[in-house]
Amino acid sequence: MSDCCPGSRTMDFSEKTDQGDTETGQRQSQLRQWPIQLHLVSPQAPYFQEKDILLVADCVPFALADFHKDYLKGKSIAIGCPKLDSDQEVYVEKIKSLIDDSKINTLTVQIMQVPCCSGLVQVAKAGADKATRKIPIKQVVVGLEGDILSEEWI
Amino acid sequence: MDDNIRSREIKETIDKYPEVGRILDEYGIGCVPCSVGSCFLSEVVGIHNLDPQTEATLMYRIEKAIYPDRDIPEPKVDMTRKPTQKKINYSPAVKNLVEEHVLIKRLLAMIPSITDYVETSAEVDKDLIMGCVDFIRGYADKFHHMKEEDILFKYVDEQGEIIQVMYKDHETGRNHIRQVVEGTESGNKAQIKEHLLGYRELLTQHIKKEDEILYPWIDRQLTDTQVGELFQKCSAADASVGEELPRRYEKFIIDLERKFLKEVSK
Repeated sequence: MSDCCPGSRTMDFSEKTDQGDTETGQRQSQLRQWPIQLHLVSPQAPYFQEKDILLVADCVPFALADFHKDYLKGKSIAIGCPKLDSDQEVYVEKIKSLIDDSKINTLTVQIMQVPCCSGLVQVAKAGADKATRKIPIKQVVVGLEGDILSEEWI
Repeated sequence: MDDNIRSREIKETIDKYPEVGRILDEYGIGCVPCSVGSCFLSEVVGIHNLDPQTEATLMYRIEKAIYPDRDIPEPKVDMTRKPTQKKINYSPAVKNLVEEHVLIKRLLAMIPSITDYVETSAEVDKDLIMGCVDFIRGYADKFHHMKEEDILFKYVDEQGEIIQVMYKDHETGRNHIRQVVEGTESGNKAQIKEHLLGYRELLTQHIKKEDEILYPWIDRQLTDTQVGELFQKCSAADASVGEELPRRYEKFIIDLERKFLKEVSK
């Protein structure tokens, strides 16, 4: 498996010694909607109206320890996998509808560092290109071990 | 460092301790030529978003320059602060403002050729000068500076010294242009030259400060929600003047470049 694509290459981080701070107590979920999968959501749902939206690759919240606190809080969300999901032209239309019909304020696309994940950014850009309204779009790239590799407006 | 230095106007500190100006200059902090200099040292250093080690070393050197005999502890480093991103990534609305600077800088680049032309002409070319004045007032000031004053600066403390310096620059620029108009009406070539060159010098520094320091500083303070709002407000301001206005002023610059860049290459 070691020579296969970076998106599915086997890697083991279990030897990591730095486990971070030991936390106690329970954290509140910052999720304020259901559903979240991009095929399942209606782009005109009330929770999208004029909101800041996260479009997140499926793997991101597993890698990013503080996803709820640092990114999801105060935002609405849709998730998808640009490598495995089918009918992604539907995704493009839904992004367009989010921008034009739900008049979302910003779109933040969070992807993993693996090359196939950049397909989600292409989906977002294609939807934004088809939309009449223009909005700021941000790209956040997350490393396999949960670090933020880049965060920029595109 | 004691608050007495941190909260003192930078010009006062530099006047009293010129070495401080030289140290700031080494770190790319150009306070020495600033016409106002009323920012506090802590604001000036903070706005440049230096990495913690660099900032601590800079403050240590400044304190040493002011109090050479004082026993000053080694710089303490706040490692919780994020390191500086080398490449500036502007939010979309701010990026548009930076792009508008490009057209303004194209006029600034031609001003020495324009003032040479005025000097060597038998009579002042009023259409030429008033065309430049119209660009400066209609594009640089009304279209561009008004978006800063009416929209962008509202997202930070407008009474802060750093924003006040920007307002002062805008006002000084307007005064230069009033003098240019007066010189054009009276046929006073020296007055036109002095104030067009003065405007060029002022705006060159002003744009550099905004592109490299002020805009990134404002962007760092904006939430995603504010970035979206700012973008929509600036887009609405652009839409209110119509697409034709920036196109007309870009054509004016292109036509001017045809005349004056040819003159330069002769």
